[in-house]
Amino acid sequence: MGAIITLSLLGILILYLGLYKAKNALLPVSILGLLGALAYELYYWQSDAVPMYKGMVLFDHFALAFSMLCIVLTILILLLSKEYFKSISENIAEYYTLIIFSLTGALMVCAYHNFAMLFIGLEIMSVALYILVGIRRKDKASNEASLKYFLMGAFSTGFLLFGITLLYGATGTFDLAVLKEYIIANPTEVSPLFYGGILLLLVGLCFKVGVAPFHFWTPDVYDGAPILITTFMSTVVKIASFAGFLKLFSMVLIPLNEFWTPVLLTIVIITLFVGNITALMQTSFKRMMAYSSISHAGYMLFAILSIGANSASGILTYAIAYGLSSIVAFGSLMLVKRHIGSDQFESFNGLGKTNPGLAFAITVAMLSLAGIPLTAGFIGKFMMFTTVMNDYHTVLLLLAAINAAIGIYYYFRVIVHMYFMKGEGEEPVQLSINFKLVFGLAVLLTIIIGIYPDIIVSLI
Amino acid sequence: MTIFYFVAFLSIFFALMTIFTKNPVHSVLYLVITFATFTVHYILLNAQFLAAVNFIVYMGAIMVLFLFVLMLLNLNKESEPMKSNLVKIMGVIAGMCLIVTFLGAFRLLESNNAMVQGHENIGLVKNLGKVLFSDFLLPFEISSILLLTAMVGAVLLAKKETRVKQHG
Repeated sequence: MGAIITLSLLGILILYLGLYKAKNALLPVSILGLLGALAYELYYWQSDAVPMYKGMVLFDHFALAFSMLCIVLTILILLLSKEYFKSISENIAEYYTLIIFSLTGALMVCAYHNFAMLFIGLEIMSVALYILVGIRRKDKASNEASLKYFLMGAFSTGFLLFGITLLYGATGTFDLAVLKEYIIANPTEVSPLFYGGILLLLVGLCFKVGVAPFHFWTPDVYDGAPILITTFMSTVVKIASFAGFLKLFSMVLIPLNEFWTPVLLTIVIITLFVGNITALMQTSFKRMMAYSSISHAGYMLFAILSIGANSASGILTYAIAYGLSSIVAFGSLMLVKRHIGSDQFESFNGLGKTNPGLAFAITVAMLSLAGIPLTAGFIGKFMMFTTVMNDYHTVLLLLAAINAAIGIYYYFRVIVHMYFMKGEGEEPVQLSINFKLVFGLAVLLTIIIGIYPDIIVSLI
Repeated sequence: MTIFYFVAFLSIFFALMTIFTKNPVHSVLYLVITFATFTVHYILLNAQFLAAVNFIVYMGAIMVLFLFVLMLLNLNKESEPMKSNLVKIMGVIAGMCLIVTFLGAFRLLESNNAMVQGHENIGLVKNLGKVLFSDFLLPFEISSILLLTAMVGAVLLAKKETRVKQHG
């Protein structure tokens, strides 16, 4: 709870800093505040997890681990933002505030114990994003992305709310613990309202995490949004939504898994194929990353499909690997786009010769996204595949292996462009110290987790 | 009970009219009437607060906003996007599936279950306030961040960029 309060106050403080034109203080103060919030989360790690504030929030190890991941990723993203926002507009303080508020919502989604908190958390997270997506007001693509995201987001929230209402109609409560007791007390005669509620909740949550067939907004929004915001959306927001998703299903709905497993299985298979095959056909790096984020959401759903003791740590490992690599990928795209002015694969040509360090970082990120051993991505994929294997979903496993192979193809295309194609210019891309720090940290963590996965796996 | 059936018939009738009228302004006006019938439903259910909010916010504020937007956009037949028949058929099928799902969910509803009968006065403002300031205090307070976010965003999107010349 301390972290949520800290972040709320931090947002307001930054608004005031913007008012008094303290532009140089914005980034340091934001980072310090985020570190403070991180310290709060670490502090709560030892204490006993009991639902607080009349059962509204629960800070167990699951919630704390995902919250910390979100905060760390936000710090990395903000470090990349230093030059970026200035080139877009004057109102930098407001953007920092909105990102921090969005993070506050994400923490609430990680820690909710009552549907009221889930709903408000998701809304805070999304409302801030609707605006951030559209901050390039002169750019038509950015405007379109913002409007599309807003309409789709509002629509999916409607489904989610209706689902919550039906669950309330069946049980008379919003509290996860009471809902769980209800299912355990009536395992055979659960009200039909409850089943309808589960389906609608599933639709709403699938919209939020962007899996097929509810993925139509994802490519356009990710493509149209400013790169930094795309990074934030595809990492922090997606991970928090998954945490909320997993919490609901593992805590409450698991006794009814015979009902929802077939539905989710279909969604997973469609998602894997749609995400990977369309990613294969892209010529723009940014769009490729958008589609590949759909397929990664499909892999993460594996943990929800066959919920077990390892689900939470599996999804956490996958999310860390995916988040770190995405930040490197989008960060390098930001640099390359500023240098060459295009986000096609061709702009990466010859990067291996002019910027060996940057090319190495991108290579590690791509290998991690593809799931090659000795990177964190491999451990994440390995854990996901093991959870599914324990449930004997052999067909799914086979399809997933095919998709992983397709994934390797398009991730390697980036590497091929960097090392084996000749670039036009000779002068190297300029990296500021912040970028070097973030890339170095992300690559280091990716490799460390790839070699010693135990530090993360044993966490939850 | 007869009042309920009459009002329910009116709700469904005007909701269908909302969809089937060609003129967007008429459509919005039918939607206003649909909301008015909902207000009557809420009063029948003894939910005064919801009735008032529905009347003021939805019928009053939001629908007026709808009308303004329609007038600003100046929609007419020519600017209407072409919809293919395939999309229409798919929409009908999907909608029907949704209805079937809901009917399946609602099939065992009984109006006299303990949860409804036990809380006859649950919709009164007094009880709502009590719940809001005891059990749901945290979400109530935190929604202030939601409102602040929306406010900052609205100002940010609507403010004029003073980039070319700084007039203070």
